[in-house]
Amino acid sequence: MSAVAAPSVYSGGASVIAVGVLLAEFGMFRQALLRDQVRLYAAQSGLISALAVLVAAARQLPELYVLAALSAGLKVVIVPIVLRRLLRGLGHGGDGAQQDQAAHGWTEIAGSGSLSLASTILLAIAVAAFGFFSVGALRIASPVLPPTALAISVSVALVAFVLMIMRRDVASQAIGFLSLENGISLAALVVAAGMPLILEVAFLFDLLVAVVVFELLIRLHHGRAESLSTADLTSLRG
Amino acid sequence: MSPNLPMPLIQVLQVMTVAVAAPGVSGVIARVEARLQGRTGPRVAQPYYDLAKLLRKEALAPEGASWVFLAAPLGAAACYLTVPLLIPVLTTFGLPLGYMGDILGGGFILSLASFLVAVAALDSGSPYAQLGASRAKTFAAITEPAVLFVIFVVALVTSTDLPYALAATVRSSSGQIAAPAHLLAAAALFMVILYETGRIPVETHTGTNEFGMIEEARPFEHSGPHLALLKWGSSMKQLILYTILLNVFVAPWGLAATPRAAAVGLAIIALLGKAAAAGTVVAVIDNSFAKLRLFKITEFAAAAFLLAVLGVFTLYLGGG
Repeated sequence: MSAVAAPSVYSGGASVIAVGVLLAEFGMFRQALLRDQVRLYAAQSGLISALAVLVAAARQLPELYVLAALSAGLKVVIVPIVLRRLLRGLGHGGDGAQQDQAAHGWTEIAGSGSLSLASTILLAIAVAAFGFFSVGALRIASPVLPPTALAISVSVALVAFVLMIMRRDVASQAIGFLSLENGISLAALVVAAGMPLILEVAFLFDLLVAVVVFELLIRLHHGRAESLSTADLTSLRG
Repeated sequence: MSPNLPMPLIQVLQVMTVAVAAPGVSGVIARVEARLQGRTGPRVAQPYYDLAKLLRKEALAPEGASWVFLAAPLGAAACYLTVPLLIPVLTTFGLPLGYMGDILGGGFILSLASFLVAVAALDSGSPYAQLGASRAKTFAAITEPAVLFVIFVVALVTSTDLPYALAATVRSSSGQIAAPAHLLAAAALFMVILYETGRIPVETHTGTNEFGMIEEARPFEHSGPHLALLKWGSSMKQLILYTILLNVFVAPWGLAATPRAAAVGLAIIALLGKAAAAGTVVAVIDNSFAKLRLFKITEFAAAAFLLAVLGVFTLYLGGG
């Protein structure tokens, strides 16, 4: 393989942001506290908004600035606030210490993985590699398409699935679903940046609906099981 | 106009810079660390006084130890003095012996030194030294994949595995340093260096706390000049690793492009300044994070591995 030329500023910047999104996704495997998990999701969403600003500036699409602002407002501010409020509400069932923990967002979700952390990461690397190379095999090339960003967005979606499967707590599963949407936004931004604004806004409101549904589900599950773990649901298997 | 220095002299200067400056860099780090913890701390030259004191003392060997025990510190120090010949310490151009080995060759020599120290530790028969040697070898095997993938990134970017070539590529364009593969590889290498120099994740590099002892446990039975050589060797290893990180990956600027005396002198000062800056960053990181439990080291190694593998992936897809 010949020496690789340095990428242009736009494509290099887009790739760096995309890698950041993927690293945040991997970081979610490690977070032990619910509060940190929510923060990491907010940071990942912030990166997506930054990418929207970059694409808007590089390809002269002013409506993307509106999208960046909307997406930042919704995913960096509103969704984390809703999730945190939800966590505070979860303290009522337990004893005093548990309520206190929930109020500060210290709810422990560590150790909810079914494999050890290092093995989970290795598994996720393998899954991400599958995403990378299957997109690479398609040989999509375009002057406006940063080559790695699309492949990384597929990897983000796949790794989000691994997160949802491997973590046994409801909260991580919800965050995994929400970050899956981040991966899809990433793909939409780099492939079809000119997609009409109204369509993208509709997606964002879809996300809001998902958050409300997850809130209901988490409350329901916590009300019945008095924990965030889904481990005891396996006994319901037929 | 300063005169041109002969090539062999520059080559000797590379080795001497690392050998002479290494304890000083350790001294700077110890000082910064003490300041961060609100202590006055030892003076920067303290490691030199320590070495001088140890060199004057008597050398003792435990009963039953063979010649390996006494020869290993010399062998290890010789290895650490060989590596600076292979990496760009002062110059941007390769020196006569500079192409004797590539990055893998340098890595082999560094692991040979670590192997010799481990063998001496086993030879001593002391449980602490043996524990340190066994941990060092086990964890070296865990961090090795990350190092390999960093080398793969270098190989994919430059089509060679010569450290001089990567440094030249990084200098050639500003876009290269912000390329995701380069950032990921540099970050992975930095994490490996944090581990290799006995900082986070688990080791306490100054204390004698057995839970976190890896590198520091190995010279437990050595004394006098042999202990001095081992301590000097580990500070040389630290400076060599910093030099690889700085002059090959992160900041390959300030190196001498010509063999003029002034340029080489400037390069020495630049290297020392960069190494002190890197040491400060390391000390800040070391003091801002809690140590992990010993067996959490796989998580740290997995993170470094993840970064390096992603670097290779992005390169493979042509993202740079």
